[in-house]
Amino acid sequence: MMQCSDARPRLEAHLDNELDEAERAALDDHIASCADCAPEALALERLRDDIRASASAYRAPAALRSQIRAALRRDASGAPAIARGPGWLAVAASIMIAVALGSGGTWLISGDRQRDAIADEVIDSHLRSLLAEHLTDVASSDKHTVKPWFGGRTELSPPGINLAAEGFPLVGGRLDLIDGKPVPALVYRAGKHIINVFVLPAGHGDHPETVHRQGYTLRHWNEGDLGYWAVSDASPDEFSRFEHAFRAAAS
Amino acid sequence: MNWIAQRRRQSRFEQVALPHLDAAYSLARWLTRNDADASDVVQEAYLRAFRYFDSYREGDAKSWLLRIVRRTCYSWLARNRPTELIALDAIDDPTGVNAAGSAQANMGDTETLLMNRSDLRRLDELIEALPPPLREVIVLRELQELGYREIADVTGVPIGTVMSRLHRARTALRRGWDGENIE
Ligand SMILES: [Zn+2]
Repeated sequence: MMQCSDARPRLEAHLDNELDEAERAALDDHIASCADCAPEALALERLRDDIRASASAYRAPAALRSQIRAALRRDASGAPAIARGPGWLAVAASIMIAVALGSGGTWLISGDRQRDAIADEVIDSHLRSLLAEHLTDVASSDKHTVKPWFGGRTELSPPGINLAAEGFPLVGGRLDLIDGKPVPALVYRAGKHIINVFVLPAGHGDHPETVHRQGYTLRHWNEGDLGYWAVSDASPDEFSRFEHAFRAAAS
Repeated sequence: MNWIAQRRRQSRFEQVALPHLDAAYSLARWLTRNDADASDVVQEAYLRAFRYFDSYREGDAKSWLLRIVRRTCYSWLARNRPTELIALDAIDDPTGVNAAGSAQANMGDTETLLMNRSDLRRLDELIEALPPPLREVIVLRELQELGYREIADVTGVPIGTVMSRLHRARTALRRGWDGENIE
C-alpha cells in the first residue's frame, strides 16, 4: 500500500496524466482510502477545472492572420533577388479572374485591408495552381461539363463561358480555397498564359478597381450581382482583351 | 532565391505555423497581458520563425513555434517591463529562500484581488499576478493542455523544473482561489 509520503509528490503528475498505468492505479487506491490525500487531490482537480472553465481562452483576432501573411510577404520581398526573371515569365505569365457573386453578407469586402487580404489569397491560389501543376479538377472545354461539376461542391455557381472564339479557350474548372471557403475557379488559356477565374461572393463598390501586387495586376469589378476580380501578369493589351471578352460574355 | 522558391517557402511556412496562431496568441497575451502588445509580439515572432524556417526540421511544429513566441515575449518584457523579470533568477532557487520572498511579494497583489469577490476576471488576475515563468507553465499546461515534455521543450528547462514550477504556481493560485471559494 502506498504511503502518503509517496502519494503527495505524485498528485499533480496524476492530475496531469503523466503517470504510467501502474502508478496511477496505486495512487488511485491510496486516494480512495486516505482522508488526507483525497481532499488534496480534489482541491487540485477543482483548481484545474476552475482555470479551464473561467480563465480567458484568448484567441487570435481575425485580422492578425492576414496581417502576419502580409508581413511575411513584405519580409520575403525585402530580398533584392525578388524581380521576376525570364524563366518565371515563360512559366507563368498569366491572367487570373476572381468573380465575386453578390450574395451572402459574410464576404463583404468592406475595406482596403480585407480587399488586400483577398487579393493576396487570390495570387497565392493562382500560384499554387501553377506550381503544383494542379490546374484543374475537371478538365474540359465544354461549359456543360464544367459548370455542373461545381454543383454540390460549393454554393457558388460560376458562369459557364468558353471564350475559344475570342482566343481564350476554357481549360477546365477547379475547386479552390479563398478565406477558408471553397470557391470555384475557371481556368482559361491565352496563348502561353493561364487564366484562372475565381467565383466569390460580392463585395462593396460599384467602381472597377485595380490593385497592383507582386508584379500582378488585379482588376475588380461588379456586374449585376456578380463581382469580378481579374489578376494578370500578362501584357496590358492581352489582359484588357480578355477582360473585355469575359465581361461581354458574362453580361 | 528566386520568387517562385520564396513563395513556395512562404506557403510551406504558413501551412506549418498558421494552424498554431491561436496558441501563439494565447501565450503572448498571457505574458504581455495586453491585446495590442500580444498581436505585435506574435507578428514579430512569426517573422522570426519565418527567418528561422530553414533550420526547422520535421517535428513538433507547435512546440517549435511556441518556443519562438515565448522567446520573443521575453525579449519584449525585457525591453518594456524589465521589472517583471527581476525575480527571474530566484524562481528556481533550490533553497527556496529568494523564491519564497518573491512569491510573498506576489501574494501581496493576490490579497488585494481577493477583496473583490464579484470580479469575474479574478482568476485571470490571480494568474496574471504570477511571475512570468510560473504563469507560462500554468497557461501551457491548463489552457494549451501541453504535457510536461512539450512544456519543457517550449520553455527550455528540464522536466523536473517544469514540475516544480507547476507546483509552485498552483500553490500560489490555491492560496488565492481556494480560500475564496470555501463557503
Ligand atoms: Zn495519503
